[in-house]
Amino acid sequence: MSEIPPPPSMPPSMPPQMPPNMGMPGAGGTPPNNNLVLAIITTVLCCLPLGIWSIIKAAEVNGKWARGDYQGAQESAATAKKVALWGIGVGLLVIVLYVVLVVVLGVAGSTSN
Amino acid sequence: MTIAERVNDVTEAGGRAALRLPVWAAPAGVAALFLSAAAYIGAVNPHDAGHYPTCPSLWLTGYYCPGCGSLRATHDLVHGNLAGAWDMNPLFVIVVPWLAWRWMKWLLAVTGHPVKTRPAPAWALYALFGAIVAYWIARNVPMFAPFLAP
Repeated sequence: MSEIPPPPSMPPSMPPQMPPNMGMPGAGGTPPNNNLVLAIITTVLCCLPLGIWSIIKAAEVNGKWARGDYQGAQESAATAKKVALWGIGVGLLVIVLYVVLVVVLGVAGSTSN
Repeated sequence: MTIAERVNDVTEAGGRAALRLPVWAAPAGVAALFLSAAAYIGAVNPHDAGHYPTCPSLWLTGYYCPGCGSLRATHDLVHGNLAGAWDMNPLFVIVVPWLAWRWMKWLLAVTGHPVKTRPAPAWALYALFGAIVAYWIARNVPMFAPFLAP
């Protein structure tokens, strides 16, 4: 039973990712998740320049937040996530295409032998 | 619905509750995915040609990217060969423990024991970006290639 109710991923004392005080100056609050983990995974595991793009977007998040540009921070975080997921998607697509090609080539190879 | 939204739905609390999965389902799933990939890469040797596709960036441009050598590094790490992994992709060897730590933080957060950390200062993130771009370039410079290229 204790597993079913959606528990808060953060304690109530911490502000949620989308701050209720959006647009208000300073006053702390944590910046949105900058999705740096996804960006790094894309860069290092998927071999794609999309990862680099994602890292720069992720890097913008905390700086924009610190300057009070909350909306900009949210947008950069969203872009970082989107681009990284695209990178991972393209990486998976390459693997799938490769497997298909190898299977096709393998069949071709066995028939020619 | 785009794939990204679908992923969001599944990973966020609402989607999870609707699916009646335990709170640790997402971290556990990701760990299972990564571990099975590592097991496969450990079993099928990427040092031999023909088992895996060439890195698309390398194939398209002829230059090494920051990720080139990660498959071979994974294989070496699975077999406990840290030096071999470092030879293939030092960035990868540095990134793996960090990813493990972030995964642990994620698991602790969803199970109700969040680790409080200060957000990284903006300059540190830009420095990281600069370092990765510098690494990317340096891997392709003959002088550094013996240390950085796969």
